[in-house]
Amino acid sequence: MRAYLLSLSLLTLVAFSLSTTLEPWFQSWAGSRTQTDNVIQVALGDSRRMFARHFYAKADAYFHKGYYPSVYDSKEGFDEKAITGNEKPHDDEKCEGDFLGKPHDWIDAFSRNFFPSRHVHVGECDAHDHKHDPDHDHAAEAGMEREILPWLRLSAEMDPQRIETYTVASFWLWTKLGKIDEAEQFLREGLRANPGDCEILFGLGSIYYEGWKDISRARNVLELSMVRWREQEGRKTEPNTLLLGQILNQLAKLEREQNNYPRAIEHYTLLKQVSPSKQSIQEWIDYLKTNQPPSKVPLVR
Amino acid sequence: MNPTTHTIETARLPELPAREERAGTLNNVLAIAGVVIKEMYRRKDFYVLFVLTALVTLLMGSVTFFNQDNIVRYLKELCLFLIWAASLVITITTAARQIPAEREQRTLFPLLAKPVTRNQLVLGKFLGCWLASGISLLLFYVFFGAVAGAKEHQWPIVNYFQAAVLHWFMLGIVCAMTLLGSVVLAAPSSTNTIVLVVTVGILLIGRHLNKVALKLEEPVQSIVYGLYFVLPHLEIFDVRDLIVHNWSAIRWDIWAAGLAYAVTYSAIFLSLACLAFRRKAIN
Repeated sequence: MRAYLLSLSLLTLVAFSLSTTLEPWFQSWAGSRTQTDNVIQVALGDSRRMFARHFYAKADAYFHKGYYPSVYDSKEGFDEKAITGNEKPHDDEKCEGDFLGKPHDWIDAFSRNFFPSRHVHVGECDAHDHKHDPDHDHAAEAGMEREILPWLRLSAEMDPQRIETYTVASFWLWTKLGKIDEAEQFLREGLRANPGDCEILFGLGSIYYEGWKDISRARNVLELSMVRWREQEGRKTEPNTLLLGQILNQLAKLEREQNNYPRAIEHYTLLKQVSPSKQSIQEWIDYLKTNQPPSKVPLVR
Repeated sequence: MNPTTHTIETARLPELPAREERAGTLNNVLAIAGVVIKEMYRRKDFYVLFVLTALVTLLMGSVTFFNQDNIVRYLKELCLFLIWAASLVITITTAARQIPAEREQRTLFPLLAKPVTRNQLVLGKFLGCWLASGISLLLFYVFFGAVAGAKEHQWPIVNYFQAAVLHWFMLGIVCAMTLLGSVVLAAPSSTNTIVLVVTVGILLIGRHLNKVALKLEEPVQSIVYGLYFVLPHLEIFDVRDLIVHNWSAIRWDIWAAGLAYAVTYSAIFLSLACLAFRRKAIN
């Protein structure tokens, strides 16, 4: 009994001694999860990014009304950028043609009647419904973009560093659902998690400009986003020129509407360097210089 | 007149007319099925799963995203997922314990001496399990319809009816498969595990098995593709995505063909179960 108590005391002593050494090391260890107050980060660690990707994909699947490639399907030809608002128009006649392809066998052909097998976006009515159901309720589809929001919220909770989540959610909140306040709050949340991110700043600037019509604040935020773009993207070998084009276009439009033509021409000149539609931008520059109407507006959003 | 022949003819038991025999069979099958249904509502499995499904759904339904209180599709998806999981658990566990329990409790011998044939016993057990799962499914779908309707203010009854019936017929295949497993395999626990793994496996990759096969080398390609044609495609009956995303109802002829597909596979598994049970020593 005595030997038993002695060995127990010895083990307790060893454990205590080890803890005095290990505890300070663990607190300063970079991999320690105790450094954050976020329960999800503590529980899931870096695997939360995987869940964030999954939830983002889920939002994309909801955007396509369940028509979405699985891990077994080829994503070739499938418009994954549609959820970001940069959508390509799709051909209704070929709507069954992208990742599913032609049926391999009769089971494949038969089973396509039991899951979404036509390419359609949320908020849009399916051409098939128009043809086969004259009583189809078109109004019911309006505002259905809201259905993607829970998954984007979850994705942001899982990985606050995923910029796309904030910009996509705020885009739909603001443009389709008229929730400007919520869109701004969500972008601000993203900005707190990713200080000075140029893409979030651009989203915020656009909301101030087109949503709240707060021109001076919009100008400041958009100009800040351009500065941040130069800091973050300028050094990269393949910078995101589409984003720069969008910032410059928004700034040029803002200055043009405020009759601040020299600044607008300045932005259009910079935009011309990165935009594929140089001709139409030059026409805008000429118009602002000569007051002659341009043939068409610049294609960069 | 040959006296020997006459004696033999009179010594036979009088045969029942075919119609009475069929009625007797039906009565036996229905009586056994009735016992199975009574057993289901005496057990707590269904109530626990139903309350759990309702609690999780209502809890998730109370969450608001971006001050939009009419977001409903995520809730429909979650609720349908829980319904599918619960219905599979109820059906498999109910069907897997039927015949082994009769053997363990020694009630199988008096049952077969009624006279109830072995085929009638298997058919009765199948019908009972299938109807029991149908009753539970009805309650689940009524709850789902109420939750979705309250949030969405739409009542696509036809779509819900199609989905529920397809789901129920799918459970028929699972039920027959489980009964076959319970006759062939040693214990209900192994039947539960194996049938659950097979069912979930088919639901997850059944649709893609042909694509997987095409990427493989021969002869594995032919084997996997063959498996694709032989396996019951339970995923066909999973129309949750159509319900969640408010797609139009399935064409009735295609829907009916789906049911016929389920009946065929149920009949195959049930015949195999009857055959295996007839050859099995029950003592």
